[in-house]
Amino acid sequence: MAMLLIILLTEAVLIGLALSHVGPVVLAAIALIVLMFYSFLSLRGANGRYIPLSREDMPWLYDGIATMARKAGLKMPRVLLLDEYVPLAYSFKDTVVLSLGLFEVLDREESLAVAAHELGHIKNGDTKTFPVLAYGRYLTLVLTAVVVLTGRSLSVAVSALTMACLYELAWARFHKEREFLADETALRLLETPMSLKRALEELKYYEDLRVGMRSNALPNIEPEIERKQRTSIIETHPTYDERVLRILIEINGGGIFKNRIQ
Amino acid sequence: MKPHEFKLTEEGMKAVLPPLEAEIMEHMWKVKVATAGQVYEWIRERHPEIRRSTVSILMNRLCERGLLKRSVETGRGGMRYVYSITSTREEFEEKVVKSILDALMSNFREATYAYISKMKK
Repeated sequence: MAMLLIILLTEAVLIGLALSHVGPVVLAAIALIVLMFYSFLSLRGANGRYIPLSREDMPWLYDGIATMARKAGLKMPRVLLLDEYVPLAYSFKDTVVLSLGLFEVLDREESLAVAAHELGHIKNGDTKTFPVLAYGRYLTLVLTAVVVLTGRSLSVAVSALTMACLYELAWARFHKEREFLADETALRLLETPMSLKRALEELKYYEDLRVGMRSNALPNIEPEIERKQRTSIIETHPTYDERVLRILIEINGGGIFKNRIQ
Repeated sequence: MKPHEFKLTEEGMKAVLPPLEAEIMEHMWKVKVATAGQVYEWIRERHPEIRRSTVSILMNRLCERGLLKRSVETGRGGMRYVYSITSTREEFEEKVVKSILDALMSNFREATYAYISKMKK
């Protein structure tokens, strides 16, 4: 995270160099716009197809999450169920979002394992830092564009571009590490740690089936890509296989995370 | 179902739907309403290797085909999707026949008429 902040600061210095006395004003204006955008999105909150979970709706899920939250030293998070058949889970602020499709594909233990991963993000502070660092990407891109377009110095423009690329790489690496850390936290919260591995394997199978990779193994099924798959040059998420491998190492006492477990 | 999707070599519902989807629809026409979990338990007896993901994806494909509809319901075990049929088997068969005959009539009108009248005799 320190690396990301250093890159942002360097970008700010570069804009100062590129625009001299106008630099601080431009920098403040861009930062203010990004901040306003972030605040607007933060205040908007969740609405639409979200159904707040109450204990009466799904006692096994509510109690399971409450127990894990207590174990993690967190207060009971807000849990929202998303009316979406595709299995999805994510978290923001102190909220965990689970799609209804998740419960179709996973059993109860596996669903709780996915919730534990999201609790891991809350416990590790990712739900607060991720949005800030994600907007940092936009800030870096805008700053770089301003530096390049105003173009007073080639070396400053090249430096700004390099910083933007470095930010992307550092962000992806940071994001991946936090995903592994959330898994690690989840393993400590779960009664059956193996359920996280099973959940990831089933979700991987689901994804593979959706993109048609299993069409040869299951000739009866003709899966299609129902929505466009996101592809990016720099992956910010570890693959299911990488996560499963790390989980197995952790469970079998490989000690790769031991220095981080308290 | 589109006329070009009709498989001449297959029998019954498998002529118009992929085999597993046809099996699920045959079951759904019997039970009318079911969750993906219930369908999974039923189909697992015939296909022990099948996974929950497969059933969920197929049932949602049947929703996209307009053969099933999905709604949220709170039942035993909590909130879940419940799938129900949108038409009876007879209504679906009627639609298939209509769609194929319409296609034949627009492409081979005379031959289709001649054949149907020969069939009537």
